[in-house]
Amino acid sequence: MAQEVSLALERQGYSVRIAETESQALAAVRGFSPAVMVADRMLHGSDSLPIVEKLRGEGNKVPVLVISALSSVDDRIRGLKAGGDDYLVKPFAMDELVARIEALRRRAADARVTSLRVGPLTMDLIERSVRRGDRQLHLLPREFNLLEYFMRRPNQIITRAMLLEDVWHYRTLPQTNVVDVHIGKLRRKIDVPGEPALIETVRAAGFMLHGDR
Amino acid sequence: MGIGKVFRSAAFRLAVVFALVVTASTCAVFAFVYWQVATSDLARLRLILIDEASKAAVEPTDQVERELARRLTRDLRQVEYVGLFDAAGRHIYGNVAKMADIPVDGMAHPIELQRHDVGGTVTEPAIFVAERRPDGGILLLGRSLYEVFALRRSVLQALAIGILPTILLALLAGAVLSLRASRRLQAIREAIDRVIRGDLRERLPVHRRPDDIDEVVRGVNLMLDEIVRLMNQVKTVGDNIAHDLRTPLSIVRARLERGLASASENELRTASRQALADLDRALATVTALLRISEIESGVRRSAFQKVDLSEICRDVFEFYEPLAETKSIAMRLDAPQPVPMTGDADLLREALANLIDNAIKFTPPGGTVCIAARSGPWLRVSDTGPGVAPNERDKIFKRFYRSARHDQIPGNGLGLGVAANIAELHGLNLRLADHGPGAAFEMGPGDAQFPTTPAEPALHRSAEYDACLDEDEISRSKPL
Repeated sequence: MAQEVSLALERQGYSVRIAETESQALAAVRGFSPAVMVADRMLHGSDSLPIVEKLRGEGNKVPVLVISALSSVDDRIRGLKAGGDDYLVKPFAMDELVARIEALRRRAADARVTSLRVGPLTMDLIERSVRRGDRQLHLLPREFNLLEYFMRRPNQIITRAMLLEDVWHYRTLPQTNVVDVHIGKLRRKIDVPGEPALIETVRAAGFMLHGDR
Repeated sequence: MGIGKVFRSAAFRLAVVFALVVTASTCAVFAFVYWQVATSDLARLRLILIDEASKAAVEPTDQVERELARRLTRDLRQVEYVGLFDAAGRHIYGNVAKMADIPVDGMAHPIELQRHDVGGTVTEPAIFVAERRPDGGILLLGRSLYEVFALRRSVLQALAIGILPTILLALLAGAVLSLRASRRLQAIREAIDRVIRGDLRERLPVHRRPDDIDEVVRGVNLMLDEIVRLMNQVKTVGDNIAHDLRTPLSIVRARLERGLASASENELRTASRQALADLDRALATVTALLRISEIESGVRRSAFQKVDLSEICRDVFEFYEPLAETKSIAMRLDAPQPVPMTGDADLLREALANLIDNAIKFTPPGGTVCIAARSGPWLRVSDTGPGVAPNERDKIFKRFYRSARHDQIPGNGLGLGVAANIAELHGLNLRLADHGPGAAFEMGPGDAQFPTTPAEPALHRSAEYDACLDEDEISRSKPL
C-alpha cells in the first residue's frame, strides 16, 4: 500500500518518505517537516492514530490525511478527533488520494475572509453575492455553497466524493452522477456562451476551477 | 469434586458458621439446665438440714436420741449422718463418732468425708450442720451429697451426649447443602468452559425453582444469545461479501488475462479499464454491505437526535431534482408541515436518497417521482415507472435481488436493503404500497396505512399533493 501511494505521489512530483514504525514516523515528521502526512491506520498491526495524537500534543500542525479500512462513523470521528484533517476510507482511487493531499497541502483559504476572488469571479461572503466580471450571478443557496467550495480551492482537483461529503454531507450514495448534474447547472449559470468555461471536468478524477481564464 | 473444594466453597463455610451458632446456643441451654440441677437441689437439702437441726437441738436428750434413732433406721440409702455430744464433747449417740471440724453455728457446711468401703477409702461430699443444745451439748446432722453429685454427673453426661449429634447434624447439613450448591456451580462452570472452548450453542443450566443464581444464569444465557446473533450477522455479511466478490473478481481476472494474452496494447488498455470499472462496482457492493451491517448493529442509535423529516425530504429533493430534470422526470415534494421525529438525519437522508435513486432509475422520461412526508412519521416515495411485478414483491427487499426485467439498469441490489435497515433502526417499516401503475415505497410505524388525508385542510390542497396521490393527475401532468 505504502509503495503504491508513494509511486502515485512521486509521479505528481512529490518527494515521499515511508515510515514503517512509530519512531520512524515521528523522526520523519520532526526532521523532514513534510507538507502533508498520510497516516494509514493499519501500521504493521498497530494503530497509527496515537502517532498523530503525539504530534498534535507537541504542537505540530502538519496536515494529516488518515486512510483506513474502517469506515464506520465512529471510526471516522475517532480519526478526526485524534488530529486528522481528512479521513479517506479504503479502497480509494489514487486520483482521490492525490486530490485530497493537494487540498490539504494548500489548505482552504482562511475561513474568516469576507470575499473571494478567482479569475473573473468575485464572491462576497457577507452579502452572499457572486459576480463574473460585471455580471451578477443568481445562484441558489446550495449552488452558492458549491461555488464557494471551488473558489476556496482554485486550480485544485476536487473529487465528487469531496463535494458529496463537504457540500451536501452525504457519506454514501448509490451513484455519484448527481454531482455532475449539479456542476452542469452551476456551469450554465457561470458561463454564458462565448466565455471560457471556468469549471473544468478532470477525466476520471473530478473537477477544477481555473483561476487563470 | 475434591474434598478440598467442598471446604473452600462458600456454602460449606456458611454451614460451618451455622453449626457453630447452633452448638453455642445448645450449649447455653444445657449449661442453664445443669446449673439449675446443681444448685437448686443442694439449696433445698441445706434448708431442710438447717431447719431439722434447729428444731431438734432444743428438745430433751432422750427425745432427741429417739428421733435420731428413728432417722437412722429410716435411712435405707445411708445418706444420713447424726451425732450427739455432751457439753464435754463426749459422744452420746449417732453414727458419727467424732465431732466434725466445723463451727457450731447452726449453718450448713460442706465437708469431704473419708468413708471406708469394701473397695477401700472413698471420698464423699456431704453437708453438716452443728447446733448447740440448751445443756451445752452439740447436735450434729449431716447428709451425704453423693446422689446429688451423681445426678450432676449424669446430667453432664446427657448433655455431652446430646450436644455431639447436634454439632454433627449441623455440619452434615452444611456439607450436604454446600455439596448441592457446589454441584450446581460446577455444572455452570463446566458449561462456561464449553462456551470458552468455542461451543456457543451451549447454555448454562437453569434450576427448576428460580432463585438469585438463576437470575444471573438467565442473564448470562441472554447475553450468549445476543453474542450468537451478532456472530451470525457478521458471518452472514462475510458470506455475502465473499459470494458477491468472487463473481466480479473472477470476471476481472478473466479480463486481465485476456488483455495480457492479446497482442495489441489497445486491447490491454480496454481490458484494464473494464477491469477497473468492474472492481469499482465490486467495492461499492462491499461498502454497501458493510454499511448494512453497521446500521443493523444499531451502534448509531446512540447518535439519535430530534430531526425534521420534512426538512430532510426538502434537502434530498433539492439534491435530486436536477438529476430528474435531465431525464425529463418531474419531481414533486409534498411535505407542507414539519414532521418532528427522533433519528439520525444522515441515515434518513441516505434511505431517502436510495428510494429516490431507485424511483428515478425506473421511471421513464415524462414520468413523475413524488416525495411526501406526514407526521407519524410517514415517508412516501412514489413513481410512475413500471412498478413491481406481483411475483417480485417479496423479493425486492432481499439483498442483491435485481429484477430480471431491468437488467440494463445499473445497481447492486442493495439500495432497498439499506433503506429497509435504516427504517428498522428507527422503529419504522419500509414496505411496498399499492400504487396504480408505478411503485410506491412507504416508511412508517407499524402496519398502519400512509395517511391519505392531506396535511392541510382540503381548501388549501396544494397542486403537489394532488399530483402525489391522484394517479390520473400524474399521468396527465407534464414534466417540468
